Amino acid sequence: MSAVEFLLAGTLAAALPLLLAALGEMVVEKTGLLNLGLEGMMAVGAAIAFICVYHTGAHVLGFMAAAIVSAILAMVFAFLVILVKANQVAAGLAIGVLGLGLSALFGKTYESLTISGLPEYGLPLLSHIPLIGPTLLTQDIVVWLAVIGTIALWYVLNKTKLGLIITAVGENAEAARAIGYPVAVIRCAAVAFGGTMCGLAGAYASTVYTPLWADGMIAGRGWIALALVVFGTWQTGRVAFGALLFGILSLGELTAQAIGVAIPSQVLSSLPYLVTILMLVVISRHQFRASKRL
Amino acid sequence: MSHTVQRRTFLKGSLAATTAIALPMRAIADDVLKMGVVLPSPEADVGWSHTLMEGVRSVQEAYGDKIEVTVLENIAEGPDADRIANGLVADGNTVLLLGSFGYQNGGIQIAKRRRDISIIHASGFMVEPNFAPFTAKYWQGTYLMGMAAASLTKTKKLGCVGAFAIPELITSINAYMLGAQSVDPEIEMSVVWVNSWFDPASEQEAAKALISQGADVIFSNAQDTPSVIAVAEEAGVYAWNLNSSMKTYAPSKYLGVVGTDWGPHFKRLVDAHVAGDYPGENFWLGMEDDIVFTADWNPDIPADVVAQIEARQAEIKAGTFDVFKGPLTDQSGSVRVADGVTMTDGEILGMDWHVAGVTTPLPS
Repeated sequence: MSAVEFLLAGTLAAALPLLLAALGEMVVEKTGLLNLGLEGMMAVGAAIAFICVYHTGAHVLGFMAAAIVSAILAMVFAFLVILVKANQVAAGLAIGVLGLGLSALFGKTYESLTISGLPEYGLPLLSHIPLIGPTLLTQDIVVWLAVIGTIALWYVLNKTKLGLIITAVGENAEAARAIGYPVAVIRCAAVAFGGTMCGLAGAYASTVYTPLWADGMIAGRGWIALALVVFGTWQTGRVAFGALLFGILSLGELTAQAIGVAIPSQVLSSLPYLVTILMLVVISRHQFRASKRL
Repeated sequence: MSHTVQRRTFLKGSLAATTAIALPMRAIADDVLKMGVVLPSPEADVGWSHTLMEGVRSVQEAYGDKIEVTVLENIAEGPDADRIANGLVADGNTVLLLGSFGYQNGGIQIAKRRRDISIIHASGFMVEPNFAPFTAKYWQGTYLMGMAAASLTKTKKLGCVGAFAIPELITSINAYMLGAQSVDPEIEMSVVWVNSWFDPASEQEAAKALISQGADVIFSNAQDTPSVIAVAEEAGVYAWNLNSSMKTYAPSKYLGVVGTDWGPHFKRLVDAHVAGDYPGENFWLGMEDDIVFTADWNPDIPADVVAQIEARQAEIKAGTFDVFKGPLTDQSGSVRVADGVTMTDGEILGMDWHVAGVTTPLPS
């Protein structure tokens, strides 16, 4: 397997947890809220999913349990912020810390156990294309569902009334309320969606990507997802692009080391962060100029 | 008797948690020795923290109900760790085991302030009369692993996933390379540093990247999770690691383990603390001390190589063979250790260069 094949095969899976969590948070932020608890919600999802799959062997159950539990945790945030009107930053951080603590607690007896991942499927016909067929186009089922889900989310946000309502709630809550939309309910639903996505992201990390549970295994990916939303300027396509870019660069960095490129590994390790931020900033600046010209 | 507290639960309900730990302690009579343990990662079935705890448990077994151990696991290096170590002292623990390099500065301050406290510190270099660091000579074992790897590699290319490029890890890699070259001089090695002690996903991808570049024996250097080992098994290449056996994660492709048994060392130090003559020195322990050992060798290793490895191991134990004995050349080809010269302990502890054959440049 060449380095190119390695990158083609691995990028989607490496980007997936980031993609799911970032898309969920994007919807939350589009309704005018900010939930900083991604890392914790992902960790809880990862722990719950692992425990569930470890005992039942069914990945579907693991993903469902993770989605539900992380959504419940997100609802705690929604309760604090929407009903009690607590500070969003403080509430989000608290949820994050609580989630990390809970995941460590639940996962204590499962530390470093392993389970089997999911088989990979090639796309019919297309998987016979040389080079990209057996690599890029051969992925596990969750990746394919995530690709479809991302397109669906883009459609909902940009082409449907629901998308307009979500935008309206975020851009001008007073106006949305005035024309009769239940702002609090819509925000609650968005937060629950964000939690669900974080749960799925965590579930993928612990039961498919690296099929093991270890406390701290999310290793900062929740924070990266949070940054991707901002640098992706709250647009589905760009957030997805950012996640993929980060995925390919983090694999590329390791490959460069394995090949023996004479660049210090610390520099290579920071490359995914730098390049992703730079690329997204460049794109949004470009668009900003274009919109000013109109 | 032992109380285990997770850092995060500890932080969250600090008041409740402190009370919960402190209360049962006050009830204990004074003749019970109280020992506090601070670990950098959660104690799992495998890995660094697990090995330390095995050592602590053998002390517990020897002392029975005459010792009370408080374990605080998953404590990040830094100010948080200093606070927690100070908390253990305040709670009346007189022996501290600080399980990571980064606890050094805080530990030294405690040692200077409280001469009645004895501290056992993992892999540091600072010494006080009541502060004794310890390090394993892992390289004695990794050399033997290199010999085994050389007999099994088909691509003549070995791989290593490392945490951080620090001398302790570099010496393990260099010895692995030297061991392999002692069997087959043409063998090369690539190293990938993930720049994290703990990130199972990156470790896994690093191993895959090495395998994609043709490496067919992978050394998981200082990783506490089995992700590298599991990936290797899946890809059908050999893998091995340090500290505790991960054979269950790679039943057919597990090459072996360079393990450590800290029990005798910890017991000796606790005994010395009780007797009042704690040795404030830097312990550097290897096969000759029965601290470093190898186990779970893969049955695929040819019998003649097994015999060679056993002979070498006996020589290392007897002190008649030095791994870092010249001539040793570095990656640029210049001679770093002249023919017949053996590197001093200080030189090995500060080793910041790779031997020839390691193809990845060392981060500066």
